[in-house]
Amino acid sequence: MNWYLQNGKDSDVIISSRVRLSRNIEGLPYVQKCNEEQLKTVHNKLKDITPSIGYGLKFISLNDLDNTNKQALVEKHIISPEFSKTRNKYAAIIINDEENICIEVNEEDHIKLQVFSSGMELENLMNLAIEIDQKLEELVPYSFNKKYGYLTACPTNVGTGLKVSVLAHLTALSLTENIRKVLNAVNNLGMSIRGMYGEGSKPEGDLYQISNNQTLGVTEKEITKNVKLISQKVIEQERTARKYLAKKGIDLEDKIYRDFGVLSNARKLSEEEARELLSSVKLGTDLGIIKELDDTKISKLILQTKPANLQLRVGKELSIYEQYIERAKIVQDIINEK
Amino acid sequence: MLCQNCGKNEANIRYTQIINGVKKEIALCSSCAKKLGMENLEMPISFNSFLGDFFNDYAETEFLPMLQTNELKCKTCGMTYNDFIDTGMFGCSDCYDVFSNPIDSLLKNLHGTAKHIGRGPNGKAEKIKVEESKKEDSNKQDQNQNKKERLEKELEKAIKEERYEDAAKIRDEIKEMNK
Ligand SMILES: [Zn+2]
Ligand SMILES: [Zn+2]
Repeated sequence: MNWYLQNGKDSDVIISSRVRLSRNIEGLPYVQKCNEEQLKTVHNKLKDITPSIGYGLKFISLNDLDNTNKQALVEKHIISPEFSKTRNKYAAIIINDEENICIEVNEEDHIKLQVFSSGMELENLMNLAIEIDQKLEELVPYSFNKKYGYLTACPTNVGTGLKVSVLAHLTALSLTENIRKVLNAVNNLGMSIRGMYGEGSKPEGDLYQISNNQTLGVTEKEITKNVKLISQKVIEQERTARKYLAKKGIDLEDKIYRDFGVLSNARKLSEEEARELLSSVKLGTDLGIIKELDDTKISKLILQTKPANLQLRVGKELSIYEQYIERAKIVQDIINEK
Repeated sequence: MLCQNCGKNEANIRYTQIINGVKKEIALCSSCAKKLGMENLEMPISFNSFLGDFFNDYAETEFLPMLQTNELKCKTCGMTYNDFIDTGMFGCSDCYDVFSNPIDSLLKNLHGTAKHIGRGPNGKAEKIKVEESKKEDSNKQDQNQNKKERLEKELEKAIKEERYEDAAKIRDEIKEMNK
């Protein structure tokens, strides 16, 4: 099973974890300053070495993926929306079947090595990332400076080049209107917390990404520890908020069951509506109010109601209107799966 | 469902506890919830003590501090310091040396320090060469590249061993390839 359908540690709050290392190749300008030949050199070099990295990794030129497949990767949070739209014809990904390893080639930096896991899994991910990094450094010469560490196009990544992040479902904090406090507290501690996609307004499905800001003058171990500590504090707060909500008993149960009722009986569902309903139903499942679903079904519902993954599941391109109808059908299919 | 504490009253409060990664659900009646202190569960989120002074040395600062404009320019990639201020991005690794002076304070603002203490590569990977040649057949180009590298090594060896006649021949061959 792919990592994003699995059920990890603390997955009532933490949807997934990611560790990312930014690297550049010595002797070449950064991607933005590269000419065609240089971009091609990066592309070809990484293509050549892909089999030597192992892990069942495959090199895929972004040009060879259609828009639906690119969008599906964005929906899984495996590649960034910006990267999926790049016009750079030498952009590529190196990815395995499980999709828990994905190296972006010719993004902002020559190499963005990413590893993913469901739930809270930072130490193991960190070890995996370093293991792959050590293979890569045998195969490509990294741009490294004694004083500044790994050199990156953007100085916010220099040093370790490391960003550790988790994706958190903070729905109770949001419902109890405590989310602002959390955002402020985390930001004041020098960590970054931001809603997925949305800027300022309510983020989609109450999903927030927590990650380190500092990459220089701090060790990989410390970064991992810091993100973990902050995440654990946020998890605690979210769970406290959930207990508070659960105390309301019938009111919350009523809201969640109404949402579940609409979700499981609608004949047409928009992407936004499905996302809002699923956020509520996920909370209901985590609180044990809804017995009809489990975590795997919830993960499936969240992913396969997104436009690109929905079309991949159906196996053909659909108009927005057709998507509404298919989405409602898929929801029922997944809920009724044995 | 009956209250899991007293087993008598109808449960009307449920909540989930996660202990060591194991999810446990508890259903309670209101009187038991009160007894167990769940009744008046407020939301006393005091984030001031959230992590204490875990990150004391952090300074909340703007991303790019205003620095006096200057004429610094990276010869390798053509980036000027003003370009950098505009884009927030460096053009190549040499930029870090060229702009070392002004960026130290920037890095201190961003990260609290300007000195790397994490891992470093032990890799012995060979330097990558960009193929500037416009030849269609890249395979042939690779072969030429390999041949040239081999000849250059031979030339070096010949000179070292003072076989000047051989060296001259090899040099001519390399010259021929460069045409
Ligand atoms: Zn009771
Ligand atoms: Zn430069």
